[in-house]
Amino acid sequence: MSAEVVGAKTGNRWKLSVDTWAVLVAFLLALLVRTGVFKHVPW
Amino acid sequence: MADVITVPQVRPVQPALRFLRVIPGVLLLAAVGYAGKLLEQNVGAYAKAHHWTFPNIEYVLWAIVLGLVISNTVGIPEIFRTGVATYEFWLKAGIVLLGSRFLLGDILKLGGVSLVLVAIEIAGSLAFMTFLGRLFNLKPKLTSLLAVGSAVCGVSAIIATKGAIEADDEDSSFSIAAILALGALALFTFPLIGHALHLSDRAYGLWAGLGVDNTAEATAAGALYSDAAGKLAVLVKSTRNAMIGFVVLAYAIYWASQGQAKSVGNKAAFLWQKFPRFVLGFLLISVLATYHFFNKDQVGALANLSRWAFLLTFAGVGLRTSFSEMRKQGLRPFAVGAIGEVVIAGFTLALVYGASKLFGW
Repeated sequence: MSAEVVGAKTGNRWKLSVDTWAVLVAFLLALLVRTGVFKHVPW
Repeated sequence: MADVITVPQVRPVQPALRFLRVIPGVLLLAAVGYAGKLLEQNVGAYAKAHHWTFPNIEYVLWAIVLGLVISNTVGIPEIFRTGVATYEFWLKAGIVLLGSRFLLGDILKLGGVSLVLVAIEIAGSLAFMTFLGRLFNLKPKLTSLLAVGSAVCGVSAIIATKGAIEADDEDSSFSIAAILALGALALFTFPLIGHALHLSDRAYGLWAGLGVDNTAEATAAGALYSDAAGKLAVLVKSTRNAMIGFVVLAYAIYWASQGQAKSVGNKAAFLWQKFPRFVLGFLLISVLATYHFFNKDQVGALANLSRWAFLLTFAGVGLRTSFSEMRKQGLRPFAVGAIGEVVIAGFTLALVYGASKLFGW
């Protein structure tokens, strides 16, 4: 007997992976540093 | 006749609510990581002021140990768990930002050497783990998962392979637990062995990147030795990560030929789907740094942002490691993983030693 599962899709085809989010956030931070919004980041 | 089962649509969680859910755990990561940083600064100064002989313990180790103590004593309450799981996000963002400290020429030079060593390490590890799995009579798919986990990149590789070869949840839990437990051990043993053998930063960084399986643990094991070793460990580990698609594809084709997994249609699309995006981000930032898109102060700021991201990662490595959960997974896969890891650590150390003699590091 085989079963077909209907309606379990999340339907969110634009959902980004953790990797992609990490790259986007890192580039946003780099842009903020480049444009001078973050002038000095202490450590 | 096929039965049709209608599963109710899961109501998607609102993005704002999802964001709010991670806040407590991220604050916990920040608190544990920052406490590690304060301990590094203050314990050393206190010991010096009182003329005690006390080793200089880096914030990396303090953050991991604090996390381990919390997760294995009081545990992590439910409210913090979603946020603690973001440590992987911080790790990858930190690696991308770290790309600003590499010039493209360095990457090509070091990447070329590391690519050769990575190829040898992957081939040797896959062959040895497969042999061990057969010797210990483990299930073939569990052996495949352990082999990919120890040859390529730990948990991410196991998860990617599990989907491609249609392995059981139980097998992937076993493999992940073994890889994480052994990664935790590597954090403490690799720096000790490196210091005992007086390895240079370059040789140690290469070894940590080749020999430690999970990216977070490889980054931490490198940073525990020195800043330069940490940078190189990340580069070598990223080279290993870049190989994930090829190895998973080979396993998917093998299991499909055995009639135990779906066949792979478009191989190029499969490789692109599995390729870690953060490796591309790392390369792109280093291209920008090479062509002076950032000035010296800006590179310093990006390097510090990367350190903060890694601080949260190291806290997460400790917080997500639960010894009782690992005990529940049983001894046999752990024993196979442990024997394999010890042999792979020795094998990669010999590789690095040979390369350092050849290139005069």
